Amino acid sequence: MEKFAKELTGKLALVTGGTKGIGRAIADRLLEAGATVVVTARNHPGDEKLKPYFIPTDLTIPSETDKVVREINENFGTIDILVNNMGGSTSPSGGFGALTDEHWENDLQLNLQSSIRIDRAILPQMVEQKGGVIIHISSLSGILPLYESLGAYAVAKAALNNYSKSLSKEFTPKGIRVAAVSPGMVKTDTMGAYLQSLSDTSGRSVDEVTKNLMTTLGGVPMGRMALPEEIAELVGFLVSPRASYITGVNYIIDGGANPSL
Amino acid sequence: MEKSTKELSGKIALVTGGTKGIGKAIADELAQLGATVIITARSKPDGNLRHAFIAADLTKPEDNEELAKKIIAEYDGLDILINNVGGTSAPAGGFSVLSDADWENDLQLNLLAAIKLDKALVPLMIEHNTGVVIHISSLNGKLPLYASNFSYGVTKAALNNYSKALANEVAPKGVRVITVSPGMVKTTAMETFLNSYGASIGKNLNETAQLVMNSLGGVPMNRLAQPEEIAHLVGFLVSPKASYITGTNYVIDGGTIPTTF
Repeated sequence: MEKFAKELTGKLALVTGGTKGIGRAIADRLLEAGATVVVTARNHPGDEKLKPYFIPTDLTIPSETDKVVREINENFGTIDILVNNMGGSTSPSGGFGALTDEHWENDLQLNLQSSIRIDRAILPQMVEQKGGVIIHISSLSGILPLYESLGAYAVAKAALNNYSKSLSKEFTPKGIRVAAVSPGMVKTDTMGAYLQSLSDTSGRSVDEVTKNLMTTLGGVPMGRMALPEEIAELVGFLVSPRASYITGVNYIIDGGANPSL
Repeated sequence: MEKSTKELSGKIALVTGGTKGIGKAIADELAQLGATVIITARSKPDGNLRHAFIAADLTKPEDNEELAKKIIAEYDGLDILINNVGGTSAPAGGFSVLSDADWENDLQLNLLAAIKLDKALVPLMIEHNTGVVIHISSLNGKLPLYASNFSYGVTKAALNNYSKALANEVAPKGVRVITVSPGMVKTTAMETFLNSYGASIGKNLNETAQLVMNSLGGVPMNRLAQPEEIAHLVGFLVSPKASYITGTNYVIDGGTIPTTF
């Protein structure tokens, strides 16, 4: 795919959870567009090809947030673009009854509260420079919950959607755009490993278990999962000057999986 | 802003209502991105035309058919179809002032014109197993304003549902279908609408614009969109970069819509 020329030159971007999967693809995309990019994750991926500046941190720990923002400001300056990509779930499948208080707490912490803290730490500098873009990477499950295995995750993402909209109302008049992006199924390494494990335990081919998984969503009209790069392209557009009138939205990118308007 | 040169090279694009406002901005954007663009309007505008032009009143079945025939005959296929034609000439003043003819006209212009054109041209895309259809809708399809343009919102809501249904049907056949819902955009059509509405309530253009913005609940960005801003989004959506995006409605409204989705 052809890439855009350097429309993010001079911009400083932070991508949380930016060493793997969607976050990695986003970080790479922003780099290609000319931004200076900082990524965070709990561990270095051990990949020499990691190009953005890496800060090891666990942003579910409240005290880490200010440390990270300070390090970025001291080394690079004011943050222009924030992509809240970190998220996920360690909750078990098995429906509502399988979820303990701890599972709920963890999913909310990882998918909602970490984002709230980082936004809170970075917004003042964006307000001061009268400009900035904040993206919340949500999930189709925030609108289309799958109770069997993603109950708490879906709830946390729904909360994130509401929060993102609320933030956009407050800060758009101050020059800051805020938007959510809701991917459907994405073929990350983690997803690939999960499908392989499903294949191993069921004896069915990876193709077959993939199709079954898509069926539980109600079907994906496009008949496949997204590539992380496809999510990254949408985010790359949204943080660019071309998206100057776009704020307070939740853009779904799901191959048509959402059955509703 | 630098552009990725020629990412739509070799693509044939049809933009209905492509001589003014949003349609013109889209046509120009797609041409800049390398597409061969054909535009339609009821009458040929004066001066030099940047794009191939076919005269058509798409509310007339015979014009609609004739346009499709010409496209099929003169071009190898159609890659991009922008259903931009739309508007209203119905009076402001609520439900009781609307005649049967007002409803009929808005249905023809905002819904049936697109349906007929899609019916004629989407099979061509299916044949080639590739293509993108954009339906330019309006925020009013989700956020109706009964006082100023009741029937317009209703017919756009119908367009939204149709667009989603079509997307579900043709996604497996390689054709993406997306709705774009702009909020208030700075065009001559907007000016005409505001002047006409203003005349009916005894207010000038600026007062009326403010009134409409207020009745929408306010625009966090505190301004109207430039047509180019809508065109940038459409340019992205029809490109290969948006390959996983289909069956969805992207609102571009400066934050106007008050709800999460």
